[in-house]
Amino acid sequence: MQLSDAELMRRLARGDRDALAPLMERHYRRVYRIALAYLRSPEDALDAAQETFVKAFVHAKRWDAGTEVLPWLTRIATNQAIDQYRRARRRTTRFEPLEEGDHDERISAEGPSPERRVLGGEVGQRIRHAVDGLPEPQRAVFVLRHYEEMSLEEIGRSLGLRLGTVKSSLHRAVRRLRDRLAEVHA
Amino acid sequence: MSFLHERWRRRVSLLVTGCLDEGERAATLAHLERCADCRSDREVLEGILAELSRDPQRRAEPDVAVEFVVARVQARLDEVVRSRSWRIGWFAAGLATALLVALLVPRLIPRLVSPKGGAAGAAGVALAVSPEPAVRQLELPEAALRRMERTVVREQAARYLAEAQDVLVTVASSRGRCRREGTSVDVGEEARRSRELLARRALVVDVEGDAMAAARPVMEDVERLLREVAALEACARQRDLDEIHDSIKRRKLLMKIDLMEKELLG
Repeated sequence: MQLSDAELMRRLARGDRDALAPLMERHYRRVYRIALAYLRSPEDALDAAQETFVKAFVHAKRWDAGTEVLPWLTRIATNQAIDQYRRARRRTTRFEPLEEGDHDERISAEGPSPERRVLGGEVGQRIRHAVDGLPEPQRAVFVLRHYEEMSLEEIGRSLGLRLGTVKSSLHRAVRRLRDRLAEVHA
Repeated sequence: MSFLHERWRRRVSLLVTGCLDEGERAATLAHLERCADCRSDREVLEGILAELSRDPQRRAEPDVAVEFVVARVQARLDEVVRSRSWRIGWFAAGLATALLVALLVPRLIPRLVSPKGGAAGAAGVALAVSPEPAVRQLELPEAALRRMERTVVREQAARYLAEAQDVLVTVASSRGRCRREGTSVDVGEEARRSRELLARRALVVDVEGDAMAAARPVMEDVERLLREVAALEACARQRDLDEIHDSIKRRKLLMKIDLMEKELLG
């Protein structure tokens, strides 16, 4: 018999690690896709998915039994992806002085960026540029709507936002994307 | 642009993203028939969303099987548990030291400051600090010593298996392209860790002992695969990694390691 999400969460809260596998089998793909939409790199998305489930286990006691599990996991996944994205941005913007003679080696070793390698195309680059420019929570709302096709109510539950905020965030995201893509085309 | 028109623009955004209910949708479509500006706005936004829908990552499926991610999560949880145990251990040790000091200091101070101090006082301190039970504790029965030894051996083996599992999972799920060669995968770090583990195995795990009898087949499988990983070039061919991946899957090695770790740790 297949256990419900709620029952699996109760088991996780009791420290039963065997409940992780069935929960992950059900939700791993969605968690991964959310992270991928944010981070644009399969490796980073995999790390984010992994950390999402680690946190789900560690904080299982905090899950409110009166609510659905998927929005709770979506929230953890979104926060995890945002954290990783910020950390990566901090790393890339940090100034790293190069030693003399090290420049050529670094440049030849770096090659194309991971995103370029992964997407391998112009479309991905343009979209990345556009979506990267969205501030929170516009970005989270847009990703959940466009990539996961979640309803506005589900998005609200997942991100802890009111319906009105979700709607206005989505509207602003679409407008900003239009401007950003227009910039790229120009 | 009027405030009213701004409201229509918001509705157009929600219309193109499919987020209006029936009533709002009908009202917005009726407005679009009358308003050329909003019609062109809608066309532009639909074009943009169509472009965004061509995103190759939109419906991407993970290229790593869920069982590998489960194993990685379990390994991460082991790390979390270990670091917590260390913290608890340090806290307990600190607490025990504080208690010991609190118990001994009131006894020692009068002896140290007594007029009979000197050598006699120092002897008194030595007696106070090394009471007889401590000596008796050292004379553990041989059976208890053997039990302790067995526990240590099994714990070391469990740790070794956990580290080996981490390496195998990382190798099997590696997809990051090698920087030097476009079609290869960078597993230099995993190969190095495998070599390190293999070198350490003889020192930390006594496979021949009775305590390890049940773990022997799993240890042998693990060692065989670690040797394969250790032999990989830093920029390995994807085909070689796929073979290792299949081998792990065929032998259900990750599951066996999990079970064996649990058994070893009792």
